[in-house]
Formats: sequence, structure tokens, C-alpha cells
Amino acid sequence: MTTTVGTATPLLEVRGCTMEFPGVRALDNVSFTLMPGECHALVGENGAGKSTLSKCITGENRMTAGELYADGKPVKLSGYSIRESQHMKIAIVHQEFQLMNDMTGLENIFVGHYDTRGGFINWKKLEARARKLLEFLQCDIELNVPVKSLRTAERQIVQLTKALLDEPKVLILDELTAVLQEKDILNIFRIIGILKSRGIGVIYISHRLDEVFSCCDSYTVLCDGRFVSSGRVADITKQQLIRMIIGRELSGAYPPINENLGETILEVKNLTAPKAFRDVSLSVRAGEVVGLAGLLGAGKTELVNAIFGHHRVVSGKVLVRGKEVNIRNPRRAIRLGMGIVPDERRMLGLNMLFDIKDNTTLPSMRRFRVGRVFQNLRAEARAAYEVNERLNLKYYSLWQNVKKLSGGNQQKIVVAKWMLRECDIFLLDEPTRGIDIGAKFEIYTLVNELARAGKAVILVSPEMEELIGLCNRIYILFEGKVMDEVEGERKTQEVIINSLLGVSAHE
Amino acid sequence: MSEFKAKSKRYGGGFRAFFFDWMILLLFVVLVAASAVTSEKFRTVGNIMNVLRQASFISIIAMGEFFVILTGQMDMSISSTIGMTSIFFAGFVVNNGIPLGIALVLVLLMAVVVGLINGALTVYGKMPSFIATLVVMNVLKGIYYIYSKGLPISGVPTSFNYLGAGYIGIVPFPVIMMLLIAAMLYVITKYTAVGRGFYAVGGNLEASKLSGINTRFIGVLAFVVSAVLSCVGALGLTAKTLSGNVNIGEGLLFDVMTIVVLGGTSLTGGRGKIFGVVIGALFLQVISNIMVLMSIDTYWQWVVKGVILVAVVLIDSNTKKD
Repeated sequence: MTTTVGTATPLLEVRGCTMEFPGVRALDNVSFTLMPGECHALVGENGAGKSTLSKCITGENRMTAGELYADGKPVKLSGYSIRESQHMKIAIVHQEFQLMNDMTGLENIFVGHYDTRGGFINWKKLEARARKLLEFLQCDIELNVPVKSLRTAERQIVQLTKALLDEPKVLILDELTAVLQEKDILNIFRIIGILKSRGIGVIYISHRLDEVFSCCDSYTVLCDGRFVSSGRVADITKQQLIRMIIGRELSGAYPPINENLGETILEVKNLTAPKAFRDVSLSVRAGEVVGLAGLLGAGKTELVNAIFGHHRVVSGKVLVRGKEVNIRNPRRAIRLGMGIVPDERRMLGLNMLFDIKDNTTLPSMRRFRVGRVFQNLRAEARAAYEVNERLNLKYYSLWQNVKKLSGGNQQKIVVAKWMLRECDIFLLDEPTRGIDIGAKFEIYTLVNELARAGKAVILVSPEMEELIGLCNRIYILFEGKVMDEVEGERKTQEVIINSLLGVSAHE
Repeated sequence: MSEFKAKSKRYGGGFRAFFFDWMILLLFVVLVAASAVTSEKFRTVGNIMNVLRQASFISIIAMGEFFVILTGQMDMSISSTIGMTSIFFAGFVVNNGIPLGIALVLVLLMAVVVGLINGALTVYGKMPSFIATLVVMNVLKGIYYIYSKGLPISGVPTSFNYLGAGYIGIVPFPVIMMLLIAAMLYVITKYTAVGRGFYAVGGNLEASKLSGINTRFIGVLAFVVSAVLSCVGALGLTAKTLSGNVNIGEGLLFDVMTIVVLGGTSLTGGRGKIFGVVIGALFLQVISNIMVLMSIDTYWQWVVKGVILVAVVLIDSNTKKD
């Protein structure tokens, strides 16, 4: 891998970019330079302006003021559009899948770029072309099946291949790894290496700072739409980077784990659900945070949902406070004192048409009844206010729609609604997915407070650091089976990774 | 303390949210004012009461459909529920000599069954409600055509006329009935857990399920409410003419949909107000009335109502609400 940085002409240069939407200044005098063959990390919290900047580069947004240079030559900004940027060989791969699920990989790659002869598509030729690209990426993917049957990581590769079709010189990867697991992320890093060696400049947008250090050459930090800093990754530490991103020092990393444990509250014995997990046994005590680790498809989400009565099981037992229970549906689970924070906050955690108050009180409406029928709206508002204040929610009105709140604030409401329900078993499925670092630490504190209040917590997370920092014990799932259970001294990244990949840690 | 007051003040969204909530009322006031200015006949008490009475039947029916649309579904079968009610009620009373009160209960029970079938097919059978209720519509239609051979059944006792044409003071009885039903439904939607359940299910079915809402119960209940209110509206219409008629519900679906949408109900579910529906019904009825008073060919009403529906849906689909 050769990286040519220094005197070479930048592939792309943005100077003094300002972007105004009605009422908001999303970008304020931001500058950005991309050299050939480098991987440049664009980092910042949610809403810092990373996506806006990348959209300015691709022409999806038209910057209000500023200059854009490609290969040292100024680009005329009036009339700059996506078409224009494609012409300049700028490509982008989005985090969300922009694939047609029922079409094959091949069809997806070439949609809109058909090579026709006499009006007919020459599929043979197209396939050969796609194969060549995959060969270049050193990936092997089945191209003739509908993409919905591919793994998440494979679908990402299809998207990448599609982006490489026009032989781009600049490639923007917008949170490409957000939905990927470690192993697949390493594969993406390898691909980035190949691209760099061909002189392609990669703009890498990610929330995971570890990735910045393992695959990027340089970085640019944005905060609240303003340029903060830019430089070589080798010259800084992670702590420094975090400080730049959130604009302040982070108070201590993880809160100390609660050691004051009570009786066993939740017990799962030999739970089996076809195609998801089998023979899973685990237990959680009051005041304990129990982690679930595992790769995508290991059955973590299904397991949590099954405990909550939202995924069908064929055999096994669930015991709550030592008593065997039959949880047929979420209603039953809630009555037994369970609350769930689902992995898809916007799809499963909240009702986006509801305001803060209604979302918070939805599971506990029964508590605010007068005369068994009518709701006491005032009492509801009061209770919603109190619990949300306790969680430090940033809002101006209880009647405010939840749609516009930040990810971290939305997640707080999902937690708040179960706190209001006075649950004592919390099932948290990736509670920090897609939220900023600052908000993440607030969620960590919250998890810790729940444990200190004597709640039993099950925490699912793809981030090992998070699990090690927060959990008393961690169960590791591999292909639907509990591979290992670690606590104390064995709670290390190394042990967990081995089990994650199915390598048994026991002799 | 005061912070709670500040944060629990209604209309956190400011003027814009307020405006969108009450836009239809504003338009209605403008329409009535314009009609009153242009037409002398419109201003008479008799005409206004007539408009109110006409609007009351359809708005009762539309309030039922409102609940189905609120949960994100659609009930196409209402025209047949109306026809069924009319034919069987008249048939029970005239052909079988069943007392009015018992016949009334019987048709209401039939409506409940229709609602349960619609709900079961949609919620438990997981059929698209559009198809399920379309099938129910045709099957029902077949049943009451077979029963009546397509002929009207007249001879319902005149004492029943009160339900459709009676007055309390100067106010027609159906109007009172409509207002009572609207008030009751308003209280249900605003102050009961079941009422909020309709909004929750329509807004996000999965999230509601995970929040412990009995989504199946709510889903079926919406169809039952729709069928029962269609039945009540149909009884009013039948009482007006004192005869059972197979095509009494023909073409009503279009008006009902227009009314529900005019009232600010989101067609994808989760958003809407019961009084919006009432105002929507009045709005549409005033349009019909003023066109009649201006002696415009009644066929033009179809055109005008079509334009209104398109306009409302276009505005709804293209404005960003928070």
C-alpha cells in the first residue's frame, strides 16, 4: 500500500463551505481536503454536519457559499448536481441499503447502467464485468440470487461494487460499517486498502472511533457544523479525538459496575426457537447487568424478543422470581415486570406520530385511571414530566412530537416509558445504536443506575468494549448456542472474540 | 413547578401546529359565510336544519369508518352493511312482524357480526383490509338481494319515523343523536386507554405490541365500531323513508372517505380527530346544499366532490407536519 500525501494535488478540496437550510446553518465555513490514495475519516456527533458535507460534495445539496476544487481545478457550483459529480468520478455508498431486495445482485449492480445491444440487455457481458470487479475486491459473492437472501455484509459488497462501476476517483463511505460485525468490518478495511493502492481517495464516515484508528490516514472533525480540526491520525490519540468531537472532556469512561446483587429474578432454561437459537440457559439477578454478545445472526435479538413473548419458542422454560411462567405475548411479559428497549428505536421503540407524553405513558396507561375507565391526562403529563426530567431529556414541551428529537433523546424516552411502568427486568437490545458518544455515556450511566436500583438488566451490544465496561457477566452466543459465559478475570476482549467466532475457550 | 407548567403547555409546536389542527374548521366557516352571503334561501332556519339532518346520517357512518382508517385499515363494506340493515330491519318488522325494538337489536347484532368478520379476516387472517372488506361487501350484497329479490320492503310503522325525521324543539332528532355519538366517541378517543390504542396501533403497530397494547383487540374493535355506526346511520335513513331499500348505501363510500379525509384523518393511520369528521360531513353537505339552491345539475356534485377529495389528499400528502 502506498499513500501519496504531501506535495501531490488534492483529489478534492472544499473551501469555506457554508450550507444553510431555512432557519438552520448546517455547515459554517468548513474546509476539507482529500488526497489521492488516502482514507480520510470524517467524524463528529450526529448532526455535526458530516452527511451534509458529503451531500455538498456529491451535489445532492448545493452549498450556500464556498468553493470546490477537483484535481486542483475549480468546479462551477451553479448547476453542480449529482450528475455532475458522477461525471467527476465521485461515488457514494450509503449506510442504508439502496438495493432492490427481490432483484439479484447482478441486476442491482447494473440497474440504470445496462449495456444493451439492439435494445436487449447482454447479461453475459454484464456478469463478466461484475465478476471482474469482485475479483478486484477479492470478494466472492453469489450474484444470481435475490439480494435479500444475502448476508448484510454481502449486500454491502454489492453496494460497493455498484459504486465502483464508474471507476470513481473519490469514494464516500457513509457509515458503511454501522450494521456490520467485526469480521466483516475487517474485510471492508482490506477492500479500502485495495482502493487506496489504486490511488482512489476514500472519505470514511463512521461513529466507531476504533475504525478511524485502524484504517484511516487522516481525519477531519466537525462539531455543530463548524470545522474543528484536521490532521494525521498517527499524530493523535483516541482520547484527544473524543475531546475534539464532543468539544469537552468526557467524565470518566464507564461507571463502576454494581456489585450489590440480590436474588435471581429471571431465569431461562433450555429455550429453543427454530432457526434462531437452541438450548439457551441463562439467569439474571437483581442489580445485575448481564451481557449478550454474538455476531449478527447469532440469535441475540431473537432471544431477547423470545423472553419478551415476541418470538415463538418451541421448548424450554422461563422463570420469573423462581416461578415458571408462560409468556405468550408482550402484554404478559409486561405484566410480569419486563420492559424492552428494541434494537430499532424508530420502528419498534417509539410511535413517531405520538408526542413525548403519549409515548412515555403508553405501557402504563392503566396507572392513571379514574373510575376504571377514564384517563387522568393531567396525572399522565405530571408523571411523564417527572420521569423524563430524571433522565435529563432535552425537550421544550411534553406535547412535542418525538420525531425531531436526537437519537439519544429518543432512546431516553424508550427507557423512560419502562421506568414509569416500574419494570424490574430491563431487556436492552443495542441501546446505543446510532447515537452520539456524549449520549452513549448518558445511556451507560442510566444502565448503571438501573442496576443500582436493583433492576435486572440484559444488555445486547455489538460493541465488546461496552459489554466489558457495563456487564457483571457476559453470555456469548454463537450460531444460536451459548458458547461461553464469562465474568471477572475472563471478561476480556480476547476470550470473547474467540467464542464469538465459535472457537471454544475451554480445553 | 413552573417548569412543569411550561413544558406541559398545549401546542408546543406553536401556531403552525394549531393552524393545521383547525384548518378545516376555518375553511368551513368561510364556506358557510360565503353561502350565507350569496344565497338567501341558505340562510333560512329550515334549510340549515335540513342540512344538519342530512349531514347527521352520513357523519355517523363516517365516524365509524374513521376508526378503521385511524388504525391504518380501510372498510369498503359499509355500503353493504347499510343495505343489509335497511332490508333486514324492514323485513323483520314488515314480513315477520317482529316488534321494532327487537328488530333494532337484531340488526345491530348482525352489524356486530359483520364487523367481527371484517376484523377477523384482516387481523387474524392477515388479509389486506381492502380485499377482505371488498369481499364481505359483495357477499353481504348478495345475501340481502337474495332475501329481498332486489325489491324495496315498505310498510315500517310510522312511529319509527321519529328516528329519521323527528324534532326536538326546532332541532332534528338525528342531529341530536349525531352530536351525542360524537361527544361519546370524543371522550373515548381522548380519555380512555382503548381510544388511545386506536391511535397507537395506526401509528406504529409493532411498537404498540411491544408496549403491551392488545393490538388484535383494537384492530377488530375498529371494524365492529365501523359496522355498528353504519348500521345506526342506516336505521336513520330507513326511518326517514319508512322502507327497506337495497341501494340505500350505494355511492356512500365515496362521500364517507371524502369526509374522513376532509376531517384531517391520515389515510395511513394514527392521526385524526372525531370532530374533524363531523365538520367534514357538514362541509360536504353544505356544498351539496348550495349547489342545489343555485340549481346546478346534481351530477355536477360528483365532479365537485371528486375535486375536493383530490385537493385535500394532495394538500395532505404534500405538506410537512411535525
